[in-house]
Amino acid sequence: MTGGPLIVQSDKTLLLEVDHAGAEAARRDIAPFAELERAPEHIHTYRVTPLGLWNARAAGHDAEQVIDALLRHSRYAVPQALLVDVAETMARYGRLTIEKDPAHGLVLRTTDRPVLEEVLRHRRIEPLLGERIDPDTILVHPSERGHLKQQLLKIGWPAEDLAGYVDGEAHPITLREEGWTMRPYQRQAVEGFWHGGSGVVVLPCGAGKTIVGAGAMAAAGATTLILVTNTVAARQWKDELLRRTSLSEKEIGEYSGTRKEIRPVTIATYQVLSVRRRGVYPHLELLDARDWGLVVYDEVHLLPAPIFRMTADLQARRRLGLTATLVREDGREGDVFSLIGPKRFDAPWKDIEAQGWIAPADCVEVRVTLGQGERMAYAVAEADDRYRLASCTPGKERVVQDLVARHTGEPTLVIGQYLDQLATLAERLEAPLITGETSVAERQRLFDAFRSGEVGLLVVSKVANFSIDLPEASVAIQVSGTFGSRQEEAQRLGRVLRPKGDGRTAHFYTIVSRDTVDADYAAHRQRFLAEQGYAYRIVDADDLSQESGPDGRR
Amino acid sequence: MPRGQAAYPCAEACDDDRMQRTRGKAKRTTHPAARSLADDLRQRTDAQLAALLLARPDLARPAPADLVALAARATTRTSVQRALERLDRGQLQAVEALLVASEPQPSGAAAVADVEALLGADPAAALDGLWEVGLLWWSPAGPHPVRAVADVLGPHPGGLGIRAAEVAPEYAASSPPSPADLPGVVADAPPAARAILDSLTWGPPIGTVPPSGPAHDGAAWLVQRGLCAPSGIGHVCLVREVALALRGGRIHRKPLVAAPELDNAAVDPAVVERVAGASARDLLDHLDQLGDLWTANPPRVLRSGALGVRDLAALARDVDLEPPHAAWLAELALAASLIVDDGELIPAFTPTPEFDVWRSRSAGARWASVAQAWWESPRAAYLVGTQGAGGATVGALGQQVRWPAVRGVRADVLRELAALPAGSAPTPESVTERVTWRRPLADRRTLTEATVAVLREADWLGATALGALSGLGRGLAVGASSAHLAESADGTLPPSVDHVLLQADLTAIAPGPLDGALGRFMRLVSDVESRGGATVLRLSAESVRRALDSGWTADEVLDTLRVSSRTPVPQPLDYLVRDVARLHGQTRVGGATAYIRSDDEAVLATLLTDRALSRALLRRIAPTVLVSQSDPAVLVELLRAGGYSPARETFDGVVVVDRPTPRRARPTQARGIPEPTLPTLTAAAARSLVAALRAAPERPVAGAPPRGPLSGTPQQTSSLLRQAVSDSLSLWIGYADSNGRTARHLVRPVRIEGGRVYAVSGESDAEQLYLLHRITGAAPV
Repeated sequence: MTGGPLIVQSDKTLLLEVDHAGAEAARRDIAPFAELERAPEHIHTYRVTPLGLWNARAAGHDAEQVIDALLRHSRYAVPQALLVDVAETMARYGRLTIEKDPAHGLVLRTTDRPVLEEVLRHRRIEPLLGERIDPDTILVHPSERGHLKQQLLKIGWPAEDLAGYVDGEAHPITLREEGWTMRPYQRQAVEGFWHGGSGVVVLPCGAGKTIVGAGAMAAAGATTLILVTNTVAARQWKDELLRRTSLSEKEIGEYSGTRKEIRPVTIATYQVLSVRRRGVYPHLELLDARDWGLVVYDEVHLLPAPIFRMTADLQARRRLGLTATLVREDGREGDVFSLIGPKRFDAPWKDIEAQGWIAPADCVEVRVTLGQGERMAYAVAEADDRYRLASCTPGKERVVQDLVARHTGEPTLVIGQYLDQLATLAERLEAPLITGETSVAERQRLFDAFRSGEVGLLVVSKVANFSIDLPEASVAIQVSGTFGSRQEEAQRLGRVLRPKGDGRTAHFYTIVSRDTVDADYAAHRQRFLAEQGYAYRIVDADDLSQESGPDGRR
Repeated sequence: MPRGQAAYPCAEACDDDRMQRTRGKAKRTTHPAARSLADDLRQRTDAQLAALLLARPDLARPAPADLVALAARATTRTSVQRALERLDRGQLQAVEALLVASEPQPSGAAAVADVEALLGADPAAALDGLWEVGLLWWSPAGPHPVRAVADVLGPHPGGLGIRAAEVAPEYAASSPPSPADLPGVVADAPPAARAILDSLTWGPPIGTVPPSGPAHDGAAWLVQRGLCAPSGIGHVCLVREVALALRGGRIHRKPLVAAPELDNAAVDPAVVERVAGASARDLLDHLDQLGDLWTANPPRVLRSGALGVRDLAALARDVDLEPPHAAWLAELALAASLIVDDGELIPAFTPTPEFDVWRSRSAGARWASVAQAWWESPRAAYLVGTQGAGGATVGALGQQVRWPAVRGVRADVLRELAALPAGSAPTPESVTERVTWRRPLADRRTLTEATVAVLREADWLGATALGALSGLGRGLAVGASSAHLAESADGTLPPSVDHVLLQADLTAIAPGPLDGALGRFMRLVSDVESRGGATVLRLSAESVRRALDSGWTADEVLDTLRVSSRTPVPQPLDYLVRDVARLHGQTRVGGATAYIRSDDEAVLATLLTDRALSRALLRRIAPTVLVSQSDPAVLVELLRAGGYSPARETFDGVVVVDRPTPRRARPTQARGIPEPTLPTLTAAAARSLVAALRAAPERPVAGAPPRGPLSGTPQQTSSLLRQAVSDSLSLWIGYADSNGRTARHLVRPVRIEGGRVYAVSGESDAEQLYLLHRITGAAPV
């Protein structure tokens, strides 16, 4: 027994004991090919997937390195079958390449003829290919470059795309490093991307993804299309680009629900591109509006399906994906790999830690017991009404009041879904209420006041909560809410509960009704948050008042 | 089972190695000339006789009465067949050479020099080996093959045709050319004749001749010159002497007296042990999973007795194994009696009580028991999914998987590996080569397939790793006791851990194998989420409830977790356990056969205190409800007798809920066919048998004219008859007619087939039929 920090499981997960002396080295060695899946306090779980292995292969790692990392850090003998599988999987990448042939144009070439034969016999792939030029080469219709890569990945023979890119319409962009410089890892990320051609750069939140984007644009020196999740992100990108690059206001256009500007650098939202009217996507023409030299995708893990489809047709342009995680809720990691490109850069863990990515937020679930009458009402309620009934119990109001009192002086948000409940709460707490009906100006005013500390407590609805300009708070109290994407939820949570500069812990309270569907949702949240490494506690509402306050107050 | 069941020795394979070990060790001593095999046996030492019995255990079962009986049994066709099947290719070549060399000799014995010439190698060691196993005896003229050898090897030993002397005179147009002239004759041969010669030279010696055309003319040319002889209609047979001359005087293309080398790669024995330990550990985990899966959801037994393809696929998916590996796992569980066809109305494969016992034992003991089950199992799991008899696909756990010969293959393969120093990893190809050399009579393809499968299974089992035999495999190969195996497995398997790590996401991680009390506790209180080097367990409301159902209290659960965990119990886990405990048992369920209800509580109070009703065992469960274990009818009677006037209610709604117990099959109802097991002959048993044989007075068999009823053991009788057939001698037989009277006949047996003896008696040439089972005995004239 070597006593290493890593345990290899037969389901291809890797368990890393974080308190082990060798954990850091092991983490560094497995990061290129394994995705972090869960990060609770003692043992982190990584998963080895074919995609991860191909990503590693695309980044220049070979099977020997991967196997060596597994053997070196593993505590027990590594299953032989797994090692063989790793070697075989990695060997599959690059047997097929998509190249630009000087005489014939775009071709699929192989170093292993039987593979090409196998691929050719595939029902889905055959129509994407053209004439056979020689035994190892076959013509590819340029329009099918993306689809071909998608299909090849699906059958387990990912192609390496070496066909290069069009330069696009030139447009000089330079970085204006005045009073700041690109951090070394950002520079590495830009270089990694540029040499790889297209691909994804994985950086944690707050590590300066925008700057990497700007760096890539400067390297390309061409017109650029930037796709972002929503309007607020679009504005942030614009501000950042104005600040960091030579670009002027006139050169940057916004293409969103409200504005439709097409300029040398255009920032568009996923939402507007995904709009579908009578079966067509009216805004997809944006993609052909200019001869783009670079397409930047922000938050690749949230990329919606229609954008994938259009990306398949954009294979001749350089594509840069930016994200904090490659894990997608819908499992379409494969499409990211084949359509945008393999992972080109992954930030070393130490840097992530320096960024304070491990949020020290304290998550507390407070359980309130329904009164006798409420329990009866709940028991006989229709299934559709149960959640509302459980969520809106008056018992929660007292707890909210209690918590608000405890955190007086700290910026606090109360978040909920049901408007009447929120209205009651706002009244009881004498705090301003922001809902979807609140005017933008009013909302902006309240948010500004909250930021400046003028207002210490806001009651916001789910709708308001969705707006990205929600100010940071150090205490959030969620009284009701549904769970859509856990990923999204955690991100939003992370945004609200940024670690505080003065080292204070942020608090996130969720108030749930005991023994109801409310508590079932809470169980999911608990698991997810714990897996993300947040501290999590469950407290009874009755015990809450006895518990000492966060600052030692009773 | 079409797969050459008979072509491969199975049951006694374990005794083979003794045979191999003794062979060649004894330098050939000068053999005292013997008159017969019986005579030869008589001259052997006790040790040599014991070695013979060990090498051919069928001779010792049942124990022969004396040495004559032993000799008679050793010359029966079946026994010789078995002995021949156990020969390696080198010995088999020697037997063929011996036979070919001895056939033209009037004495029936061969000259050693002839054998050597035919074989093209020194036959001394091979002949010694053959003598040891009683396939030849030394006559004054030289080694004499036992007669039945010729029968078993058939008319074309070594692929050689009939001898020139045997060619029927009407076809013997001319005698074949002498070896010296042969090249000239062959050189003159027309191309068609040349082609026939080429194809018949290395056997089989008989070729089909078309009714016309160049091939026909070529054959005619060969017959005319005495190179071939007609053999039935439309066939020709290459004359033996010609074939030998064409083969350059040798029988075989390549003498293979020595075993082919194994090409070894060296691997680090320490790594082998580690990897083997991990495989063994994985196997135990997989069996565990299989048991759990099939406890929850026993798969149905198909009408063919096999496991459905879909159920096998589900198993493969759930345990995360390739389908062949999953099939092997299921077969192994069956072989180890961990699962069985439960024989219920709708039969299913269900874990047995043995499974629970197995699960509670130490990891080493668990491994030892399944490894031995694998070693002895007559089932060839790799056949699952292949085309079986009748074209149907062989289903896992079905009857068609049975192929007892696979035991012999396992023994062969592991023993070949065991003969190498630790850390030698021969290629599968060279192991296959060696095994097929050992078993020349087995179907090569079948054997190759089986060898490759056995090597793969040994890997899964942990008997081999990286191609080399592990300590565990060595133990199996040398037949170590289960206690010994268990002990060595305990040393090889990764040591189990005595702690877990609890995390806030409600998982517990055991950073190594979990066994014993902690393993049982964790399995009860949590569900396994991922296996391998470590075990990831998830605690959930359901799993905690399961523990509470089994009588644990929340405090006990938490205390045990606290003691077993290296990390503090996370607050959410503590909360979860207490929360589940709070709700647990809030509603109570019990059983009663009758209830009494009344809106008047006072009446019920009276009933409770009424002595006359004491035997109804009334109990108050609510102010207005009493329950009783008495039958409602009886209770009504009792109440009436006590002067009350009860009204009886129909009661549909009394639900009796038992705590569910895992479904287990009762072994008494198991439908599985018990595997016949043959007791192995031990060296000690062989020695004592030899002593008994020596002590037995020999019954006279030959010489004196028969007086009184002729009698003898069936083996003796049939041996005498066969001898008479081959020597064309007459002999006396006792024959029971259809009335039960025994008469004596002087007959000359012509042939023996299928229990019938065809013989001519007296001067008549007409063959008469005697039924072998009615022949009471035989005596030479």
